[in-house]
Amino acid sequence: MNWISSQYARHWRNINLVLACILSLMLIFGPKVINNYVSQGILSSLYYPFFKLKRGYELLKMDAVDITDFRQALMESSVRLSIYEERIRENDRLRSALGFDPPASYKLFPTKIVSVSGTIIPSRVVVNRGASDSIAVDYSVINQQGLVGRVESVGPDFSAIQLLTDPGNRVAARVASSREMGIVKYSPTDGMTLGHFPRNGKIVVGDTIITSGLGGVYPPGLVVGIVSDVIRFEKEPFCNVSLEPIVNFRSLEELFILMQERLQ
Amino acid sequence: MRLIPYLIYLLIIALHQVLLKDITTIAGVSIQVTALMVVLVAMYKPEGVVLWFGFFAGMVMVAGYQDLLGWYALLTMGLGLIAFQVCEKLNLESIKSRVLVVLGGVLLHSLIVQLIESTDGYFMNCITEAIPGALYTTVVAWLFFLVKDGHLTFRRIKSLF
Repeated sequence: MNWISSQYARHWRNINLVLACILSLMLIFGPKVINNYVSQGILSSLYYPFFKLKRGYELLKMDAVDITDFRQALMESSVRLSIYEERIRENDRLRSALGFDPPASYKLFPTKIVSVSGTIIPSRVVVNRGASDSIAVDYSVINQQGLVGRVESVGPDFSAIQLLTDPGNRVAARVASSREMGIVKYSPTDGMTLGHFPRNGKIVVGDTIITSGLGGVYPPGLVVGIVSDVIRFEKEPFCNVSLEPIVNFRSLEELFILMQERLQ
Repeated sequence: MRLIPYLIYLLIIALHQVLLKDITTIAGVSIQVTALMVVLVAMYKPEGVVLWFGFFAGMVMVAGYQDLLGWYALLTMGLGLIAFQVCEKLNLESIKSRVLVVLGGVLLHSLIVQLIESTDGYFMNCITEAIPGALYTTVVAWLFFLVKDGHLTFRRIKSLF
């Protein structure tokens, strides 16, 4: 032991040099896995805090740009809003002058789905809000995508929602661009279709179908679907219009019940 | 041997590589912090420390390039040992001699780095990157020595204005 320590004391310089050279040569010519471990070790210990710092700084810079954009968008929106508010007031004045009912406004009431029923596709759901929350039959139900259905029956703390995929549900609708009207219905074999649409009506694939507001159940302007196919038969008065529902009925989660309020 | 100061030196190299390099680069010419640190350690520390610090500093410098780890460890270790031997034979009392050691060490390091990275357009790279980089690093080292020796103080800078 003494011999080893005395040898090291005499030759420590050479031993250190040889050891460092062997390690370097091992990194140059040795298996790549060693380099990988060494590199990962250095990056995840010495470099890591600075990478985090740099990333944080870049995110802050991006946020600053976003905030400027948002501020500008907010300003534009507030200007636009004030114009719309003025138009609403003007509309109210004109309606009262003409003796019309005041327009309806709606507030959204969030609900959660408790249960789903339906064989091929969900056609009915039960939500966790009911008569105790002032919900009534025939209120429209939407989600962030578009129209989902209507309130079919109401219990004290729950409501049954009839979805657009229920074959018994009918929606008075119109083409958003041409304003021509039809009735949206769903059947398990044909999918969603726009019925009673005249053969010569202006409709093309890609048109958006919205509720017309006729019938008194659904308010006007809610998106129902997109036209996916139009077939016109020579001797038929109506054409066959297939729709792609705007709502994905297989992934429903949160729903909103549209509660109608009358403006005074 | 206390390890914490050397760990801090290695952290400074990593900090420079990640954050400061982009800020301090002027017209594509950057400070050779690794070479500077190794030469500075060679001036003030014993040989064994210089050898191992050079070894680890080289690895930290190119941690992102796995194929170059060994080459850079060897290079900076060699640079440290050469700088140490030169410093042993010189009187380092004057700032001028220390600045010359830094210039020589960083220039040698930069020339070999250029050779490792690419042999295409070697002389052009030496003229446009290695030599200006060495000069830039030497200026930084000169300022460091001025501060270290107390020739450049905050009070003196303040008195200029």
